[in-house]
Amino acid sequence: MSRTYVLRRGLQAIGTLLVIVTILFFLFRLGLPDPTVALVTEGLSPEDRAVIRERFGLDRPLFEQYVIYLGNIVRGEFGTSFYYKAPVAGVVWEKFANTMVLMLVAIVIAYLLGIPLGAYLAWKRGTRTDTVGIVLGLMFRSAPMFWTGMLAVLLFGVALGWLPTSGMRTLPYEAATFFHKVFTLDFLRHLIMPATIIALFYLGSPLLIMRNTMLEVYGEDFIEMARAKGLRERDVLYRHAARNALLPVITQLAVTIGLAAGGQVVVEVVFSWPGLGREILQAVRTSDFPLAQATFMLMAVLVITMNFLADLLYGALDPRVKLQ
Amino acid sequence: MRPRQRSRSRYLAQAFAPLRLIFHDRLATTGVVILGTVIVMALAAPWVATHDPRAIVERAEGSWMTWDEDAWRVQPAIGLEPLYDLAVRGGEAIAVGADGLAKRFDGRAWTALPRITEATLRAVAAGDTGAIAVGDGGVVAWYVDDEPRALRLGDADLHGVTLVDDGRSALIVGAGEAVWHLPLAALEAGETDLEPRTTRLASPVGRGLLLRAVATDADGSAIAVGERGLALTWSPDAAPGGAGSLALLTLPSFRDFNGLHVDPDGGRALIVGERGTLLRREGPDARWVEDPPPDTRALRGAWIGNDGRAWAVGRNGVALSFDGEAWQRDVTGTERHFWAVAEVAGRPLAIGSDPFVDKLAPPSAVHWFGTDHLGRDLFSQNVYGSRIALLVGFLGAALVVLIGANVGLFAGYFRGRTDTILMRIVDVMYGIPFEPFAMILVLLFDPSLLIVILAISLLSWRTVARLIRSQVLSLSERPFVKAARVAGASDLRILYLHIAPNVLPLVFLELAIILGASIIAEATLSFLGLGPPQSISWGGILHNARLSGAWRTAWWWNIPPGAFIMITVLAVFFISRALEVIANPRLRGR
Repeated sequence: MSRTYVLRRGLQAIGTLLVIVTILFFLFRLGLPDPTVALVTEGLSPEDRAVIRERFGLDRPLFEQYVIYLGNIVRGEFGTSFYYKAPVAGVVWEKFANTMVLMLVAIVIAYLLGIPLGAYLAWKRGTRTDTVGIVLGLMFRSAPMFWTGMLAVLLFGVALGWLPTSGMRTLPYEAATFFHKVFTLDFLRHLIMPATIIALFYLGSPLLIMRNTMLEVYGEDFIEMARAKGLRERDVLYRHAARNALLPVITQLAVTIGLAAGGQVVVEVVFSWPGLGREILQAVRTSDFPLAQATFMLMAVLVITMNFLADLLYGALDPRVKLQ
Repeated sequence: MRPRQRSRSRYLAQAFAPLRLIFHDRLATTGVVILGTVIVMALAAPWVATHDPRAIVERAEGSWMTWDEDAWRVQPAIGLEPLYDLAVRGGEAIAVGADGLAKRFDGRAWTALPRITEATLRAVAAGDTGAIAVGDGGVVAWYVDDEPRALRLGDADLHGVTLVDDGRSALIVGAGEAVWHLPLAALEAGETDLEPRTTRLASPVGRGLLLRAVATDADGSAIAVGERGLALTWSPDAAPGGAGSLALLTLPSFRDFNGLHVDPDGGRALIVGERGTLLRREGPDARWVEDPPPDTRALRGAWIGNDGRAWAVGRNGVALSFDGEAWQRDVTGTERHFWAVAEVAGRPLAIGSDPFVDKLAPPSAVHWFGTDHLGRDLFSQNVYGSRIALLVGFLGAALVVLIGANVGLFAGYFRGRTDTILMRIVDVMYGIPFEPFAMILVLLFDPSLLIVILAISLLSWRTVARLIRSQVLSLSERPFVKAARVAGASDLRILYLHIAPNVLPLVFLELAIILGASIIAEATLSFLGLGPPQSISWGGILHNARLSGAWRTAWWWNIPPGAFIMITVLAVFFISRALEVIANPRLRGR
């Protein structure tokens, strides 16, 4: 992998981001109602409206707003949320952390379970175990998460009363920092249900990819070689085949993490998780341009970065792949 | 002609190759069967559905509930006719209802009495010799063991009946302030028309108001109540054999009175009426007092016991009880309308119900998946929901594949600048997170079916384009493409007649994958309340369930739509898995 390749792909990623930011900026300005209409209560006089529009810079020409906006992004300023009346960065950062802690836990569980299970299914290929495993994996993938989430709330939250059904912590609570909020038993109890629901949904992907690549690897000569050396089937499976089959799973993991911030809006809705997904839904509904833009940009940045990383990983891990 | 024919048959063989793959795979065959069933269900929705999915279903039935230990329990309905009144005699009760329905209750089970009239019976009183019921159109039904018979008293509707003169006469009240004094001997006379043998008493009010109920007091007199706070007392004549006389009774309320009960031993009495009206009398000579109601809906049936405990029932499943000090509302968990309540064999029993909205009803023989918070049939909603899912799924997938395949074909065939531009666009698309973008797009425009389909397909074609492009890149180096070019075929001809058939199996695979994704995406948008308005979809049903708040208890509302989504998408996954062999022939050996 040459340095020029990395550089070129890096520039491309930045170009992609610029295009997305531009599309979003104009999409929001042209598609959404004026925030002074959407956000402020009725009965605002035209004079007051003009004052507010001036304060937020909404009275300037669209193109001028765009240039100011780009300049601010480069300086790392994302403006003030119309709704929270607070700097966007702070709001988004908190919600981002909330979403990521949920999504990362879920993804890690899914991959830790999915990879060995996929390898196991490949080993048992063609048997009843294999079929049951595939059907289960596909079932979790085809069941919408808002549905499984609702059923989980119904069963474990309401009927059995084992787990809390909404939010990140039992209210009221006080936490000085994000870590104070997260490193508690109460948080763990709130995390179990949503994380499990997301993990089950994501489980199918590593499971099936792992199984399929294992089958491909099984056809390779070095596996025959390992068998010929008289290794146990288990050792052939986990030491030789699995390691080589991991490659597509790892790149898939990178892509999945990239998509995590855009996350699972429905899960956040069902479990009232104060995350980024619910935030963007509300920001768009209230025409909160700065918040919606920053949120979406953060999601896009993560997607683009992780896609980029997946590409690099692919080249770095598999010497057969030549990137140019 | 011949080479052309051959090429066409090869074209067909290529196109149908996926079908062979599907039917060689057991899971894929299952998938085809399931998906086919769902498609048939969507097409035949009006015939499959048992109800109009949008209609609020009303239902009448012979409802009854009993007080067990500490709560009302609704019992399985007895028949389809609503029950209107209840009379107690010893440990037995007699209930009458619509279309001449009459039933006897022995404390445990109901037995039918002969149906001797088609008219609706509104009230019943039970005496030593038999039970007398009155109803619409002046019908009087006389239930005696040997020969029950239906007779007639005028043609106005009769609403109340009670026995006076130590059980020798009946006092009947009804529309037009009618109060009739009927000696029971007249019932045995053998004539159908009772009017000549009955005395109509003159009302002291004379405004033609409707009298709804009448009850015998402890001292042998009687009280009749009706609309607009009308209350009359009937007193027997000093000499036996007379019809008695009426006097006005002033009560502390002017609301419509619906029901009345007097305890014959202690003389306690209770009147119930509209807007939670509760009038109580502690003894035969005590004053009537108005109790503050715990619920302000219409009350229709009243019962008060010797110990001062009382019950009142009414519309929409309202049931109140009085413990001697205060009224409280009891949970019945039903929307049924109750008409009467009484203590039978020491246990309170309430009856109803004229047509009521069957809200949040659990699954039953009529509503297979129960009903929602507005009383709409959920099975029918689920059946109709398959239409939106499949429509959006198939249209979305077709659009995605159409765009994606063409972009892939052009980029892969023309290469150079075309390829660069198209692939940079695809790169940008890959940088956009799908779900938030689709949500924003639907929010930006007025929600409609078209915008939902567009939101789903606008990004999804990126994968198809990349996949087809890489395939076309290698295909266009093949000898048959070069041969076609040498033969002078145009670019478009080569693209669509020579290359396209070869990527067709791949297109089918993508079609299947995108179909599953589209169905889930549509359900997701609908669940978030962003679906096409005024349409019924599986995601929308779950959205309603969440919005109504009833989803935390109504399991029958939550389970079916998601199960339908899961089964449909699973079927599509089964099919696409079999097709994956096309894209990756190394999987063939599995």
